[in-house]
Amino acid sequence: MNITQEWNDILDKVKTWARVNSPWLIHYNSGSCNGCDIEILATLTPRYDAERLGVKLQGSPRHADVLVCTGPVTMQSRDRLQRIYDQMPDPKFVVAVGSCAISGGAFQGCYNVIGHIDEVIPVDAYIPGCPPRPEAIIDGLVKLLTAIKTGAPIQTEKPEELLDVV
Amino acid sequence: MEAIGNIVSLLFFPGGLFVIFAGLMYEWLDHKIIARSQNRIGPRWFQPIADAIKLLTKEEIVPDGVNPVLFAILPLIALAGALTAALYVPMAGLKPAYSFAGDLIVTVYMLSLLTLSIGLAGANAKERFSLVGSTRALTQLFAYEAPFLLALLGPAIAAGSWQISEIVAYTETHTWMMILQPIGFVVALIGLMGKLELPPFDSPEAETEIVAGALTEYSGRGLAIFHLGKGAELIIGLTLITAFYMGGVSNPVWFLVKTVGLLAVLAALQSLMTRLRIDQTVGMWWRYGALLVLLQWLIIVVVQLV
Repeated sequence: MNITQEWNDILDKVKTWARVNSPWLIHYNSGSCNGCDIEILATLTPRYDAERLGVKLQGSPRHADVLVCTGPVTMQSRDRLQRIYDQMPDPKFVVAVGSCAISGGAFQGCYNVIGHIDEVIPVDAYIPGCPPRPEAIIDGLVKLLTAIKTGAPIQTEKPEELLDVV
Repeated sequence: MEAIGNIVSLLFFPGGLFVIFAGLMYEWLDHKIIARSQNRIGPRWFQPIADAIKLLTKEEIVPDGVNPVLFAILPLIALAGALTAALYVPMAGLKPAYSFAGDLIVTVYMLSLLTLSIGLAGANAKERFSLVGSTRALTQLFAYEAPFLLALLGPAIAAGSWQISEIVAYTETHTWMMILQPIGFVVALIGLMGKLELPPFDSPEAETEIVAGALTEYSGRGLAIFHLGKGAELIIGLTLITAFYMGGVSNPVWFLVKTVGLLAVLAALQSLMTRLRIDQTVGMWWRYGALLVLLQWLIIVVVQLV
């Protein structure tokens, strides 16, 4: 173990600490019924005050770290979702909020729906619910942040039992 | 020995690291006071530091169609301007590191470099939101700059000098300028809010209309440096106004008490008011701000002649 190695370890720790403590979100609705979007906005209001965790909603994908997606992916919104994901600077994370984002939900099999979020972009955390409560969204976010902190593999397999929930 | 002194004043105090760190802390205090007045808990004390480190370690995307040299150098010019201005103000209640006759003008124009850089950065990107944001930022610059400068020159005329250290020496021994020149104080305070693009003057970066204004295309390092520059400008502006209008800053304790008090007033104004349209901002400054300050000047001159 030489000095450069130790120095790099310290730098990595500082980087991870900063990353965990300042997740800036961008929110995209790729075809949801707006139920989940209302819950996400409720999470950011003074009652739940996500700013105490460092969460800030950003307008520009260039400023954001976490892409919060709701709803199934419709044919029209696939390109937009892909483009927003590409516009974000690395390291970037994706959170799928709600049953539709996980499995297509009530829109499964519709003629204009491609499917769930991770058929288009890789997803790091899933928050089930129709719609999930603000507490559930904060919990999912904290799980994502814990995974970043401990260095656990974040791109987890989608829980199989969630696929059956329609 | 002198060389060591110069390096310390450029890199650590009162330039460089001290201003950056103090700026981040004042930014946190500002956010915390706003959060408390909205009945929230608000961010933790290290929040701006974590934000800055995270942005500095993120990937920086240079978009197509920009001039890459300008894209990289504009944030640095903005931060350098703010840090240079810190050398001429009585930071933390101590004497300015450097001082010469007329340094007030230099300081005020060093502070405008930030807005100018943001405007150029927005115009550099080939993107509509950046362009709208930069137009608004530059329009706002022309709106508040003249009244702000005139408001800071009020105490200078009373003191009979355009050198910051001499003005501060004058204000420390006389009645608070805030009481003698109330109009100038109000205009200077609101001018600082316009300079920092705080609500209600945040139409250049209105996230509900134009995404993030001129800085929409900036990610990572550039965005972080612009943020640091803004924090530095917050603390320098507060120092200037307390030194001129609130009876000077004779020692670090008074400096802390007075600047934090002024910051609380700024935060209260921010949480009270909603965003003005850009034409309302310009109209307000030129119809009322500039005229009121000129009236203030007239009164000062008449009082001094009599």
